Amino acid sequence: MNLRRIFWLLPIVLLPLPLWLNQYQQYVLNTALLYVPVGIGFNLVVGNLGLLAFSNVAYFGLGAYVSGVLMAQFDVPWWITLLPAALIGGAAGAIASIPALRGVRLFYLAIMTLAFGELMRWTYIRWEALTGGSMGMAVPVPNLLGWTLDTDLRRFYVFLALVVMLVAITDRLLRSRFGRAFMAIKDNEIAAAAMGIPTDRYIVLAFAWGGAVVGIGGAMFAISVGHLTPVSFDLTELLRQFAIIMVGGLGSLTGTIIGAVIVTVAPQVFISFPGFDELVFGLLIILVILFLPRGLASLLARAHPVFVERYYRG
Amino acid sequence: MLTLLPQLLISGISTGMLYALIALSMTVVYRATTVVNFGHGDMVAAGAYAVFVFGLGFGLPFLVALALAIVLLFAVGFATQRLLLQPIVGGPHLSLAMMALAIGYTLRGVLRLEWGNETINPQRPYLQDAYMFGNVVITTDDVVICGIVLLLLVVLFLLFQATPLGKVIQATFQSQRGAALVGINVPLFHAFMWGGGTALGAIGGVMLSMIAPLTPDLGQWTLVQGFAAMTLGGFGSLGGAVVGGILLGIIQKLLGFYLNTVFIEITGYLVPIVVLLLRPQGLFGRRAAVRV
Amino acid sequence: MADPPLLSVRNIEVRFGGLVAVAGVSFELRAGEICALIGPNGAGKTTLFNAVSGNVVPDAGSIRFRGEEIAGLTPHEISALGGRRTFQNGGLFPELTALENVLVGLHVQVGSGFLGLLFGSSSARAEVAATERARELLWLMGIGHLAEQKAGELSGGQQRMVEIVRALATNPLLLLLDEPAVGLSPTARQQLAVVIRNLARTRNVGILLIEHAIELVMSVADRVIVLNEGRKVADAPPEEVRADRAVLEAYLGHA
Repeated sequence: MNLRRIFWLLPIVLLPLPLWLNQYQQYVLNTALLYVPVGIGFNLVVGNLGLLAFSNVAYFGLGAYVSGVLMAQFDVPWWITLLPAALIGGAAGAIASIPALRGVRLFYLAIMTLAFGELMRWTYIRWEALTGGSMGMAVPVPNLLGWTLDTDLRRFYVFLALVVMLVAITDRLLRSRFGRAFMAIKDNEIAAAAMGIPTDRYIVLAFAWGGAVVGIGGAMFAISVGHLTPVSFDLTELLRQFAIIMVGGLGSLTGTIIGAVIVTVAPQVFISFPGFDELVFGLLIILVILFLPRGLASLLARAHPVFVERYYRG
Repeated sequence: MLTLLPQLLISGISTGMLYALIALSMTVVYRATTVVNFGHGDMVAAGAYAVFVFGLGFGLPFLVALALAIVLLFAVGFATQRLLLQPIVGGPHLSLAMMALAIGYTLRGVLRLEWGNETINPQRPYLQDAYMFGNVVITTDDVVICGIVLLLLVVLFLLFQATPLGKVIQATFQSQRGAALVGINVPLFHAFMWGGGTALGAIGGVMLSMIAPLTPDLGQWTLVQGFAAMTLGGFGSLGGAVVGGILLGIIQKLLGFYLNTVFIEITGYLVPIVVLLLRPQGLFGRRAAVRV
Repeated sequence: MADPPLLSVRNIEVRFGGLVAVAGVSFELRAGEICALIGPNGAGKTTLFNAVSGNVVPDAGSIRFRGEEIAGLTPHEISALGGRRTFQNGGLFPELTALENVLVGLHVQVGSGFLGLLFGSSSARAEVAATERARELLWLMGIGHLAEQKAGELSGGQQRMVEIVRALATNPLLLLLDEPAVGLSPTARQQLAVVIRNLARTRNVGILLIEHAIELVMSVADRVIVLNEGRKVADAPPEEVRADRAVLEAYLGHA
């Protein structure tokens, strides 16, 4: 399986890529990159752990606003805001796991976590002093240890480094006994507990870790768009994030990466109208569920063993 | 402050009746198929748009437009179940939930492509008036909404309780396998109930568009209120959906007036969270939590 | 003083609402002893099991495991103390392979915590050792060739064996087997009886067994406890129980 190591060459191959792209294409590329951690956290809970939690956009928005507000109002450097963004995202994840710990599952869990995410959006709208309300807030130009991240090109390299790090850690996590335990809990929660797995602790762990990674994605989003408004964190955004993990493949890390790229790039091919995103993501999800329920990663896994992931059944 | 209480109760009951109708239509689908239709709100909104198009676009009289919209939305619900959900029945819950959500969004995308984010204020088919009873104002809207919802409730009650079809529906709610054994075509029954639930919700959508601005986002609001009413009354209980809807309407008005107007917007989100954490079975229904 | 018995259950009571599922049952199990729980459906056998394994919290009474109170502990805590169980229908993880199923059984013994994982302390060696041990056990039980197959795709008998291997992997002190012979062929049942006896005799495991297959009970059990309507009606060696009138009544519903 050491063949898998060639994947670590991928980021190196990507290094010169933005030089061939125009500024807008660079921006799209950055967006695809930042959706990798967003998808990773989501897929961990929904795909690997198998729980119907619809609160991913809440962690995403919190990460974005924590980072943006700390930069705009407290002059905290962007790279330092990554930590509180991850912490708050993780804390929100832990809070969202409370109903799951109390035995709430399936549709009930989906409804509760959906409501939680929407409440967070109302918080951004109403807490105008910090967030600028519906009109939104501008995010200052970030700098990284004195290096100004004022172009998409510069942000690309920072994003790439962050994403590689988060993917590496997640890969390690999923191939370890934790990945196996998540899958055991998804398959048969009672038997998992009988095997000595503290299921409650693992559920909190997956939610909190997922929330933290998504929070970092939110902080990346904040500086990538430069302007935060509550509509960026509505249910259409939830649909986009669902499209990422379902098109890529539930429970697959490779799938999350593919999904982030496809779901970000595909709508750019067309001219966008209002409502267009909803239509595209909706149709993508319908088609995937009907014709490719395990996502694109399952095609790869069948095509060549190098794409087989340890605890993803394509 | 308290002098306004009767007024708040009246308007709360009036909006609550609409929530009740929408929650009831969602419950019909849920009880029949055990699938929660996350796309229901958008279908309800589509019903309101359909009346608008048939009425203003084609110049048809309101009642004709309404009848056409009901037929159309029945067909949409029926076809959705047949073509998109039936193939994945028995699959993971996530697929079913996501399929319904995705269908709803596709529909919303279509509505937004056509109408953008503009707001439509459909004309009422009656003259809006207000009647004073002491210091309580009752509008024609209140009368029409309560009247139609009560009428529909009576019709549904009679349909379920006193007709042979109703007995079949009740029996199939109780046991799908038993129903299949006595020769009921369960997949067809599912499609039929999806159609019926969607059409019922569409009637609610039409009335909702009389009192609230019609935008493609109406569906999201509707879905959230429907969920809140269902959890309040107990998920899956028909009577609970009605009582839950009315209670939700009243709670919204009371919290909105006595605490803060923000509660009119967020009660729908708070209710499912609070209810499912404190009393998972709702006020009337069975237990919602799947304890492991 | 002799050592405390492996498992000591005192006046356990479990109620579900108004229904009393287990009404004051007491018994003891020594290490290396095989004890069968029998009785009609609804007698409270599985509820009693669930109380011992932590899946149900008893309303009254005490359960001591090696002298330590375990009533009210969670399943994973009891599991970590050395009490393992199998499930009546499908306790496996169907999407995981047979080998991975056994590795989940070894979960507690494999490797580092979450932070250790993030900051590089490698748990690879423990994982390799556990994998070797799991393979060895699967071969020992005659199902080594199935290691890489998804558990959900195995036959009923093979699944049973994987579940037992998984329960054994951690060298448990106490093993609760909930109807292990269901769906097994007569040959597989004999094989199972040998496995159970070996565990008790050579590894000194205390085994509590729920079983309807009466010939299996009679051939492996040192003692048989008969439950009826939540109460213990007999607790004796198999041959005595076989002759007991009250047991026949409980079991067959007539004298």
